[in-house]
Amino acid sequence: MISLEEFRLIRDYIEKHCGIHLTDDKVYLVETRLTTLMIEQGCKSFSELYEKSIADRTHTLRDKIIEAITTNETFWFRDMHPFGILTEVLFKRLTENILSGRRNRIRIWCCACSTGQEPYSIAMTFLEFMRQYPGIRPEHLEILATDISSTVLFLGKLGRYDNLSMSRGLAEDLKNRYFETTDNKIWTISSDIKKMVTFKKLNLQEDFNHLGKKDIIFCRNILIYFSMEFKQDILRRIAALLRPDGHLFLGASESIIMYTKEYEMLRHAMGLYYQVK
Amino acid sequence: MRILSVDDSAATRHFIKKAIDVIGFEFLEAADGKEGMEVVEREKGRIDLILLDRHMPVMDGIDMLLALKANDAYRDIPVTMVTVELEREEIQKAIDMGARNYLVKPFSQENLIGKIMEGLDMDL
Repeated sequence: MISLEEFRLIRDYIEKHCGIHLTDDKVYLVETRLTTLMIEQGCKSFSELYEKSIADRTHTLRDKIIEAITTNETFWFRDMHPFGILTEVLFKRLTENILSGRRNRIRIWCCACSTGQEPYSIAMTFLEFMRQYPGIRPEHLEILATDISSTVLFLGKLGRYDNLSMSRGLAEDLKNRYFETTDNKIWTISSDIKKMVTFKKLNLQEDFNHLGKKDIIFCRNILIYFSMEFKQDILRRIAALLRPDGHLFLGASESIIMYTKEYEMLRHAMGLYYQVK
Repeated sequence: MRILSVDDSAATRHFIKKAIDVIGFEFLEAADGKEGMEVVEREKGRIDLILLDRHMPVMDGIDMLLALKANDAYRDIPVTMVTVELEREEIQKAIDMGARNYLVKPFSQENLIGKIMEGLDMDL
């Protein structure tokens, strides 16, 4: 059994290094997810695991602890509205600037990309948009997809999905247009889509200013895991990374009004998005 | 890469096969430790990792692990033990006997692939 003292030690360690805030009712979650890691690491207790992780200057063990705690749930075109807003508002506006020579490309960052469904959905949305706008090319969009988990990044880069993953939110015509299969069981995203997305490991707790200015940031269904202080901190840093007219998308059930005054909430059709002030 | 799943649950083997298909590795299977050893021998050890269920009829996971470790030709094949129980003593025993890591059911596709990559020492 994990003691309350050990739980708090590990809880604080996780919060410090990835921002995830675990309440006291998550004792069981920490115990079940970290017991095998503790033994695999040759540790006799959770406090020994904690000490070993602190002493590990390569941060390998720290990453394993974080990976064991995080949850990955993802869908194609999750919540739909953000993709409608991209097509009907933002891509329209930003590509007009490209065609008039006022900008070179659109830069989007998905900050918790999981196994790639979100960045690839954005890329498909852009290619669909492009069909109606001659002169716009795939290289006009640059998508950076980051996550804290090496495993999900590996899967995202691979771009191969089984039928269950494919059934979560992907329309049949898009599936036929942008995926290849030889056996109708495993579907591989087309190379045209793949080359629009760059995957990179990133812990949001760490500085991300070096990523460069972005036009649009997707930070969806992740803030709920963070403490109030970390939510404010990350939203402030995201605001600083956005271009003056940049936009932020959150998960359908998330709101940031109570955490920050740096964004203005906008509405389009049934969807919400935020513009940096 | 060739992955052998030794598990008496056909449903678990099916789930594992789907994950192995996603990452494009080759999948081999056996329903108990005895069958598992037959596959290892038939393939002359050309298996990159074994996902080994702890509890099975005929020959269980610990006995198969013992048999692998007792044979110079097979002792270096990494083994990921799979079980439904989160028993510290059980996990400790398997790790002490040379299992590379441990996976507790139910697990997600990402959990499984993470353990396979770790077992193969693959740098992601």
